[in-house]
Amino acid sequence: MMPWYKFLLLYLWIAPHVVLAVVAVLLLTRRLYTGFPAFVVYTWYEIGEFVMLFVITVTGLNRGAVYMRVFLVTLAISTALRFGVIQEVFDNVFREHGQVYALAKVSLRWTTGFLLAAVVLCAIFASGQTSGSLIAGAAWVGRGVAIIQCGLVLFLLLFSRVFGLSLQSYVFGIALGFGILSSVELADTAMRTGELTQSMARALNLLSTGGYHVAVLIWLGYLVAPERKILQTSNVPIGGVDQWNRELERFLQ
Amino acid sequence: MSGALLYVAIAIVLAALLAYLAATRSRDPLAIDQARALMGSLDIEAFRNLVDPDEEAFLRSSLPADQFRAIKRERAWAALAYVRTLSGIALEFSRFGHAARRSPDPHAAELGRQIAAGAIRLRLGALEATGRLFVVATFPDFPQCCPHSLLEQYARSTGLLLHYSTLDRARKQPA
Repeated sequence: MMPWYKFLLLYLWIAPHVVLAVVAVLLLTRRLYTGFPAFVVYTWYEIGEFVMLFVITVTGLNRGAVYMRVFLVTLAISTALRFGVIQEVFDNVFREHGQVYALAKVSLRWTTGFLLAAVVLCAIFASGQTSGSLIAGAAWVGRGVAIIQCGLVLFLLLFSRVFGLSLQSYVFGIALGFGILSSVELADTAMRTGELTQSMARALNLLSTGGYHVAVLIWLGYLVAPERKILQTSNVPIGGVDQWNRELERFLQ
Repeated sequence: MSGALLYVAIAIVLAALLAYLAATRSRDPLAIDQARALMGSLDIEAFRNLVDPDEEAFLRSSLPADQFRAIKRERAWAALAYVRTLSGIALEFSRFGHAARRSPDPHAAELGRQIAAGAIRLRLGALEATGRLFVVATFPDFPQCCPHSLLEQYARSTGLLLHYSTLDRARKQPA
């Protein structure tokens, strides 16, 4: 293995978790754990998972099946927590808007159903050649999960935009980070379901860890960014309304 | 591998969409003067006339059936254009209200909260009215009901905005 690759991979494994620790501390000091308990749990869980896997690697236990088992179990828990965080962001954004909340909940159920159907159909019609390894199996499941999570985040952001709901910076950041993470994981897991050459597997290692690093930086960035202030320009075409008024007056005469 | 490439393409599209949402999010909400200008730009009386059931009954009684259907369709399309504009205004009011909610002045923040809540109700009402008017524009024989709640909500929202404007002006005046 080339030294630069080894160094880069190690950096992309360790650095995001250091940044995530900063995010976790900021969440605690700003008392955001009351509004986002699942996200706080997720950040500490990810840090704990990293420490455990790092220790297994450093002590040389990673040569057996131990590392793979721990990795897959912790990945499953992490995935479940991510669904929890998306639900939490959704509740935080819409809860205080009664009518919109009811509409959003129904729409969310339909969107989830639609995404689930899309995942099943894609699995049937666009499966391609699949490797029989454990990693390929996990990637096959991960691919479906990534589609659903990314779709849910997009729905959340688009639906809030339709009603002009302004998300606080860090709330938007949490959702955006998960969206970017899910989209990178979608590409990563899709490639891993097939047979991989060694160089491709190495490139994918960088893609997944790099995507995670970007997501963590987004969380940190939006957490420390100042909230937007009030009040500037407009985009509604006033001229269009005037024209309609004139046309209507002409029509009514 | 072609299946995998399809997923990679989907991932790129999704990431691009998210990046677009993040980039366009930074657009600032409008100023109070522009919000008032928007308010004044919509001839609400003309809209009220277009969706008035009495007006419709009068046209029905005084026009032949074919001509009445054609006129009603035209009126429904014109009303749809108004509702679309109203919906756009509601969106801007909502953004304005959400931004005003963060005002350090508690009175202005409370008004902002009310403007945002009213704007969301207005937007929902406009979406509902769009559906109804679209049905009427497609099938002119369907009875048309006046969107009273939409008009009332618009009046309430504009009232709140004027209240905010007065407060804003009073705050800017030297003591």
